[in-house]
Amino acid sequence: MKLGGPVVMLGLLIVQHGFPKFLQTLVNSVALGSLYALIALGYTLVYGVLRFINFAHSDVFAVGAWLSFTFATAFGWVATSSPLWGMPLVLLLVMAACALLGVTIEILAYRPLRKAPRLNVLITAIGVSLFLQNVGQLSSVFGTQPQRMPSLIEDRSLFTIAQVHIRLVDVTVIALALALMMALQWMVFRTRLGRAMRAVSFDEKVASLMGINVNRVVTITFAIGSALAAAGGLLFALKYEGLKQTADATWVLLGLKAFVAAVVGGIGNVRGAVAGALLIGVVEVFGASYLSPHMRDVYVFVILIVVLLLKPSGILGKAVREKV
Amino acid sequence: MKTISERTRALHPGGLGSALRSAWPVVAGVVVALVLQSVLAPAVGPFAAKMVLDIGIAIVLAVSLNIVNGFAGQFSIGHAGFMMVGGYAAAIVTYYGSIKLWGSPEPHGGFLGSGDLLFLFACVLGGCVAALAGLVVGLPSLRLRGDYLAIVTLGFGEIMRVLAQRSKDVLYPEDVAGKSMWEVSDNLGGALGFSGLPSYVSPTPWNEDTGHAGIFFVYLIVAIVLISAYRLKLSSKGRALLAVRENEIAAEAMGINTSRVKVAAFVMAAFFAGVGGALFAHEFGNTLTPRELGFQKSIDIVIMVVLGGMGSISGAVVAAAALTLMPELFREFAEYRMIIYALALILVMILRPQGLFGIKELWETTAWRRIRARIVRGKEAP
Amino acid sequence: MSEVLAARGLSLSFGGLRAVNDFSLSLGSSDLAGLIGPNGAGKTTVFNLLTGVYQPDAGSVLLDGKQVNGKKPSQIAAAGLARTFQNIRLFGELSVLDNVRTAAGVRTRSGLWRSLLRTPLYLAEERAVTERSLELLELLGIAHRREEQARSLPYGDQRRLEIARALATEPKVLLLDEPVAGMNSSEKVEMRGLIQTLRKQFDLAILLIEHDMGLVMDICEHITVLDHGMTIAAGKPAAIQSNPAVIEAYLGAPEDETTAESEAS
Repeated sequence: MKLGGPVVMLGLLIVQHGFPKFLQTLVNSVALGSLYALIALGYTLVYGVLRFINFAHSDVFAVGAWLSFTFATAFGWVATSSPLWGMPLVLLLVMAACALLGVTIEILAYRPLRKAPRLNVLITAIGVSLFLQNVGQLSSVFGTQPQRMPSLIEDRSLFTIAQVHIRLVDVTVIALALALMMALQWMVFRTRLGRAMRAVSFDEKVASLMGINVNRVVTITFAIGSALAAAGGLLFALKYEGLKQTADATWVLLGLKAFVAAVVGGIGNVRGAVAGALLIGVVEVFGASYLSPHMRDVYVFVILIVVLLLKPSGILGKAVREKV
Repeated sequence: MKTISERTRALHPGGLGSALRSAWPVVAGVVVALVLQSVLAPAVGPFAAKMVLDIGIAIVLAVSLNIVNGFAGQFSIGHAGFMMVGGYAAAIVTYYGSIKLWGSPEPHGGFLGSGDLLFLFACVLGGCVAALAGLVVGLPSLRLRGDYLAIVTLGFGEIMRVLAQRSKDVLYPEDVAGKSMWEVSDNLGGALGFSGLPSYVSPTPWNEDTGHAGIFFVYLIVAIVLISAYRLKLSSKGRALLAVRENEIAAEAMGINTSRVKVAAFVMAAFFAGVGGALFAHEFGNTLTPRELGFQKSIDIVIMVVLGGMGSISGAVVAAAALTLMPELFREFAEYRMIIYALALILVMILRPQGLFGIKELWETTAWRRIRARIVRGKEAP
Repeated sequence: MSEVLAARGLSLSFGGLRAVNDFSLSLGSSDLAGLIGPNGAGKTTVFNLLTGVYQPDAGSVLLDGKQVNGKKPSQIAAAGLARTFQNIRLFGELSVLDNVRTAAGVRTRSGLWRSLLRTPLYLAEERAVTERSLELLELLGIAHRREEQARSLPYGDQRRLEIARALATEPKVLLLDEPVAGMNSSEKVEMRGLIQTLRKQFDLAILLIEHDMGLVMDICEHITVLDHGMTIAAGKPAAIQSNPAVIEAYLGAPEDETTAESEAS
């Protein structure tokens, strides 16, 4: 019954504007949603184990995108001359580099504050975020000039449905994101490490009493979250190509929307992050192409505020009450 | 033991003396603002005078954010959003209002003439509209805390930015005729900003062409903000804010309506931020653009409050002044400015989590007391 | 002697767990009553129900004959019910004096405008608040620490400050949650004297949760015993001491100790 409304609305959209536009919008929204999901997972994983919002996560994502550009240009792959193994190689490199970055941030900035009030950690995270943004802008690092990502993937349409060309880039983005999410899902729910992560998330004290090395779990969580953000960064660079300076508002905004996705899905919940990200992607892209393109950010924040006011624990999250 | 109402009755409230005692800081503020305007402005030249203006506006913003972040402990990182609301609301009044009244958006009349009065009215109106926005943003704070609230305030700032960006072009004076104020209220210049505003906040001394006493206005408002914040902090209402920050459950159990207190903090902070935004919009050399008042601006203000000390008014003042001067003093390090701020933020949080002064005022810190004691002793010695 | 606080059939469940079941209580003005029971019996939950932190699933709370359940904790506090916390909840960064003054603020009428304008009424009220707060600190024996930060006080003084703060709201009923927990025996004796003084001086009804049986039996005129959320006995100390159900709850079935331990607070 609940699905009645949305189905009718979709039907109306298709009838009014035609199927091709609908399909194209759907592909775009799922691609964007997959990107958000990769970033949102980092927020949700870190929140799961440490109960704080890693504000610097969107900057790790930006660094991932810029590093992808740096590696690609360093190999001399301009335009379409990159070899078939180029993209996977860059992917591995940026994931490794950002994992290292994430771990460094955790050890240097967050670990000393493990017992501090949450506000302090939040402010520190803002500090780390500013640090990454502005170091990234130094002329000796990435600089302030916008850059164009070399296309590591051939720009061609893979197949055509109802006059809509499904581009290889979109398929790559969605498939790769899906593969990484499934790997994460397997890791969290099927491995010893995943069990340790869930234990820390459930109760840090008890977990450490049970012989789990909490610091190690936290470190690995940061590594995984940052690596996923890096993958998101590369995919973003491949799909949207234009890279703005690291302190540009677009990065903050992208990270913010991914964070919104994590919150909407229920922060701390891996599946919730993916569901929330897809929802945000759909709302944003459909809103932009059917209503007003200028207001796309507004739709996202409206969803956030509505969800937080109606069900602060998110779609798939569970409520916690403070002890008195 | 006598109850508080019995005691209050016994203390015989009333008398002209106490009214005067309550009023003198405001009078002093007016005098100081006049002195700054008539002595400092001509003495230091326009460049330094502009710095003085910038510092004043930064103080208004930092102290107002301190009310909600420092006193009430509700972490807001969308303060520039309130500036934007106040700035644009005031800009509509001064720009379109001036055109309607005098046919041109240029500053009008002399010191405290009709133009200045319109500008002051615009500042108050900007504050009120921002306060209304503060009410709206304050409501989520009833259900959300900490990081979540921070995100909502950030989202608010971004929404304001997007809305301002998609506004229509500013109308030229000749196109305004025949349109009501309401009709022109969406002509705010879009992404390029609201240009052509009268610069009532100018660094020039008296009686030059646009001789509107910018320093006087800014420091008059600084004085009002400082007196309000300080009196708030020392009052029962202010302690209620601090109590909410320190322990919400205990505060509620002591009869403090925490919901009301939190929303009130947002409204008050937003009001002053709106006034600050109005000052900023009309400052000589500034253009009111959505970009200028984005996330980065909010963070700048947060840094002032955090470094100065969450809850310390004098700390916020010192930090606002220092962080406004620093980029000018170290121009050659401009690239490194934000990096240094970022590191300072992280280090302060790790080494001195309550900010440089914490909740204390400058003169309440032990370091200050020690220095004063040394000076007093030095004087006593022959 | 009139009834100032009454609980009628209060019940509350968390999930499937009955935390408090059909709890009733009647407290006359200047009564001194105790609420005891093993860990996890639901004592603090009762306090949270009385003060409006939790809403009961069933039953009602009456303060001075008026129903208060459904109101916010702050409204209930303003109506004259004050409490202390088992896990101390002071305003840590504020001074000792300001902790008390904050609570006394609830009895002032000046709003924000009066505070900012410093009207004569406001000034008189602030002086009244400060005077009374200092007297309360004097009474609790911590006036010499008034300028110190609340969080830097030694443990026993923190408990005293919690009581001073609660008294500053000018309550008719005071709920004390383990007032002597963690105190040594001489401190306990002092606290016992203090509780009796307070009750006389302020004409207060006091309900206290305490694990120290000696103290409870000594000073309370009426005791209610909870176990697993159920009232298993209520009456005069002598009757409670010899009540077999109480003895079993405390000494009996050792396997009970592990259950429902966590829901106590």
